[in-house]
Amino acid sequence: MSFFGFDTPRHNPAATGFSQVHNPFAGLSGQDNEGEALEFEDTYDGLGDQLEETNDAFNDDTFGDDSAAVKGPVGKDFDFFGQTAKVSNAIEEEHVRFQRQVPTARVAQSAARVAQQPFSQTVPAAASYNYPTQSVSKPARSGYEKYSQEPVEELQVDAALWGVAPKKHTAPAPAPAPTAVPAPTQTVFYAAAPSSAPAGRKILSLEEVEAQMRAQAKRPLHQAASSPAPPQPQVQLHQAHPQMHYEQSYQYAHPVQPQVNAQADDLRPKEHSYHLGQTQPQPVYPAQTQPVMILQRPQSKHAPSPQPPIQHSVHQRQQSATPAQPTQILQNPNRLSGDAAKLGIPSHPTPPTQINPPTHPVHRQQDSFHMHPSQMMVHPSLLGQFSEEDKVAYLDQEAKRAKRNHKIYQMSRDNGIMTPQDKNFITRIQLQQLVAATGNPNEHGTDEAFAEDFYYQVHNQIQGGHRQHPSQPLNNFAQTYLFQTGSRQGGLRRQHRGPENHMQRMEQQVQRAVEAAKNKPKNKQLVIEGSLGKISFSNAKTPKPLLNIKRNDSASEANRPGSAHRTHTLNGRDRKSELRSIELVYTTLMKMEDHDRIMPPRPANDIDTKAIHDFIAWNNEAQALNQQLWKALRVHDRPDSNNVHPFIALLSYSKGMKAMQRIFRRTSQEQRITILTLIVVNFDTLDVVRNAQATTGEMQLNAAMRENVELFSASVMSTLFNIMNELELNLVAGVLGLVCSRNVDVIAKSRIGVAMLTMILSRAEIIKQSSGGTADAWHSWDATYMQFFNLLEPTLPHVFPGTVNSGDDIYVWQFLAAIGIEASPDQQSRLVLAVKDRVMDTVTLAKTLPQDLATPRLQNVNLFMRSIGLDVELLQ
Amino acid sequence: MLFFSFFKTLIDHEVTVELKNDIQIRGILKSVDQYLNIKLEDISVVEEIKYPHMSAVKSAFIRGSVVRYVHLPAAAVDIPLLEDATRREASIHAGKAK
Amino acid sequence: MAEVGHEGNSVSEPLDLVRLLLDEVVCVKLRGDRELKGRLHAYDSHCNLVLGEVEETIYVVEDEDEDDEIKTVSRKSEMLFVRGDSVVLISPQSRSY
Repeated sequence: MSFFGFDTPRHNPAATGFSQVHNPFAGLSGQDNEGEALEFEDTYDGLGDQLEETNDAFNDDTFGDDSAAVKGPVGKDFDFFGQTAKVSNAIEEEHVRFQRQVPTARVAQSAARVAQQPFSQTVPAAASYNYPTQSVSKPARSGYEKYSQEPVEELQVDAALWGVAPKKHTAPAPAPAPTAVPAPTQTVFYAAAPSSAPAGRKILSLEEVEAQMRAQAKRPLHQAASSPAPPQPQVQLHQAHPQMHYEQSYQYAHPVQPQVNAQADDLRPKEHSYHLGQTQPQPVYPAQTQPVMILQRPQSKHAPSPQPPIQHSVHQRQQSATPAQPTQILQNPNRLSGDAAKLGIPSHPTPPTQINPPTHPVHRQQDSFHMHPSQMMVHPSLLGQFSEEDKVAYLDQEAKRAKRNHKIYQMSRDNGIMTPQDKNFITRIQLQQLVAATGNPNEHGTDEAFAEDFYYQVHNQIQGGHRQHPSQPLNNFAQTYLFQTGSRQGGLRRQHRGPENHMQRMEQQVQRAVEAAKNKPKNKQLVIEGSLGKISFSNAKTPKPLLNIKRNDSASEANRPGSAHRTHTLNGRDRKSELRSIELVYTTLMKMEDHDRIMPPRPANDIDTKAIHDFIAWNNEAQALNQQLWKALRVHDRPDSNNVHPFIALLSYSKGMKAMQRIFRRTSQEQRITILTLIVVNFDTLDVVRNAQATTGEMQLNAAMRENVELFSASVMSTLFNIMNELELNLVAGVLGLVCSRNVDVIAKSRIGVAMLTMILSRAEIIKQSSGGTADAWHSWDATYMQFFNLLEPTLPHVFPGTVNSGDDIYVWQFLAAIGIEASPDQQSRLVLAVKDRVMDTVTLAKTLPQDLATPRLQNVNLFMRSIGLDVELLQ
Repeated sequence: MLFFSFFKTLIDHEVTVELKNDIQIRGILKSVDQYLNIKLEDISVVEEIKYPHMSAVKSAFIRGSVVRYVHLPAAAVDIPLLEDATRREASIHAGKAK
Repeated sequence: MAEVGHEGNSVSEPLDLVRLLLDEVVCVKLRGDRELKGRLHAYDSHCNLVLGEVEETIYVVEDEDEDDEIKTVSRKSEMLFVRGDSVVLISPQSRSY
């Protein structure tokens, strides 16, 4: 049931219509729809009977009544879909019938109609004759489907198509009289041009062609005698030019050379009756002309012989009788005059163009003829003479060829649809899009292009710009940025090697200090006696460390819960706002870096007010950005409720640590020292200190924290180290004093804290060795150191990370060496006492280790031992 | 354009492209466009036995949209620069949005 | 905790949140029952990402067993570009220490 009450089943579903999608391969599916052919009466809904026919009399006024169809009774068949589908097949059907039944005189006419059908239909036409119902049900066809079927016997005997023996014709079935033999090969050339002639257009035999040429050759002579007739060649050139694709109508519409017409008229009557029988194959050609032209055109140059492949015996027999020479004449119009001369045509200089009227159609046919051998070698009617195998092979080949031709036709259909200008235009559009996508090479270096392609541009410059456009000069902007990023990248590179570099420098510094200390031994007694017994004696003598240990232990115990509590709350602190602060720092840093790029040249003199003005404006902006950065760092903010300074909080993020180097490059010395002070003051609240405490067990820090410690050491500590090495003694003492105000135990038990303390102590020693510092400063330093040592002493046995076996304790030995150098003899004794166990354990362990592993361990210990005037050698 | 910019610096490096259908193709990155379509040369399929149909292919153009991952050589990536470039990209976008 | 500066400090768009996670360890959920954990090095407006030191977890439902066991497959990658159209969500990784 249809929704609107239409009786849908009555509609012809197979009819071609708007609702039906054209399916070119429908015919290949092989479905058998034979039973579905619909009768008109079945589909007619009777609506035509209800038509109002009053005033229909005026229809004639509107539509005219000159057509015969109008005069007949008006039908009721308004089923356009079904009717059209039927008609399309009826045309084919009719065509076949025509060829079989209609007197040969009308063949040319039917040929004209076939010519209007697509090539693919000409062969199917024969087959569809046997399957009319199928064709009705399958209006959408590819044209290939017929090749899947063998031609039916009945058609094979239908020689009328080929023109060998039309059944109703009076001409003998085999090849006609010898003179007529050349007709299929030759006259075709000439006659196919008028092939669409309504009736009996002449088809010339060889003799007639020759006669015609002779007549023409003479005519120009006459003309030349009377007048040079210059305009004529032009017209004829134009005529000779058109090739196959000229519409046939053109042939008639075009004013043909008068003399040709006259000749043709003369010739027509006498040839008419006799040639028609020979020219029947011609219907095939016009239909196939166009697709094959592309393929065959070259052939016409190289292979003038029109002979088809040998296996087609019947055809060949006809061909064999053909005189070769006339064929050549017809095939090459350019040689026409020469050939004509051979043929006995008067040898007066005949301009080739004059002969063109006859050659024009000849030329046309030449092409169509050449496609002939490969195009349609054997008519189906001849197939009967083939063996079964040949037939199959032939059909196979035919199918392939037809497919190929069809494909070529499809491909070539749109040839020349675009002019070179069009193509050029498209190319330009594409280029423009490419340029838009990749950026105009001329725009490289502008701010916008740079921002869009920042990574690539800077990366390239860092890599040496080897991929830069060679001809593109690095403009000023790029150069400043190269310098700027280069330095930044240099910094980052240094940072990559940072841990090593920074550690090495510190190590060297400590080692130098130790060497220097060894050169001026302070404690002769220790050196001379050098026995641990003595030291243990001093241990017994001084119970103070034990007391200290207890006191400090309790102090640190008291602190621990607090720190644990802090840790807890810290995890809950406002992470988002901290991250936001860091991003703001980065934003500001990038702004400052951008601002640096546009730094105007320093005014050369006082007269150039604009330059001065620019420079001042730039400076003001730089200052403003600096303040913005300072504000973003929140150095002067108060610690939040969790007692963690916001700046210190930034340093618990890897990107916060990484920003330090860049921040330090963008800040004043004063600001840097403020930052250093701030960090030291809050040292025990740093993530990497507080949460990275050395433990005596085997337990290691987790990977993330170890990574953070590494990163902090590489980025922050190395930066601080640089500042520290510029500090005067009073400031160094001040920094140490700040450390003392914090929880020394926590600091000393972290790797970062130990590194920090080593840094401070070794700086002081360097100043001492270079005889720097005022007396007052030294006095202050000594007092601070005393305080520090007392605070540190209880922690000393616990500063080693892990067990003896784990190794990784060189930084502790460096630290101990730094303490040892600064220590008074008394302090040295206490120092030795505090770490005695670890010293002895390491020495014992070294004895069990292979030489290459033992040596570095002993060297590490010796670094400390030497600082207090001892040597591991004494222990062995 | 950040990733277009980024991938341009990886040209001539070996990468492994993992497609959304799980095929992994390793090859030398030869070119990339703003859609992150990728052209690889000297390719090899990581699980050759599982996807034998690719073994004869020597180079491939991969439509960006079928890519799931691209495994990159870490050494060829300048991480700080990349993060900065990302920040710049983000601020460009913020600027455009305003 | 005053908002510093006149721009960049206020989160106005979802991707601004992602910006805060730059150089942080993030969890990324992807189509096809996949999860990534890694450090975020780059992103863009399409959620294309570059992650470093990535661990990928794929959840596979084993149909063979009646109880539909969920198996996980883990893979690691040093540096990974992730195409944005696979990304479902990006979340900060809670700190494990």
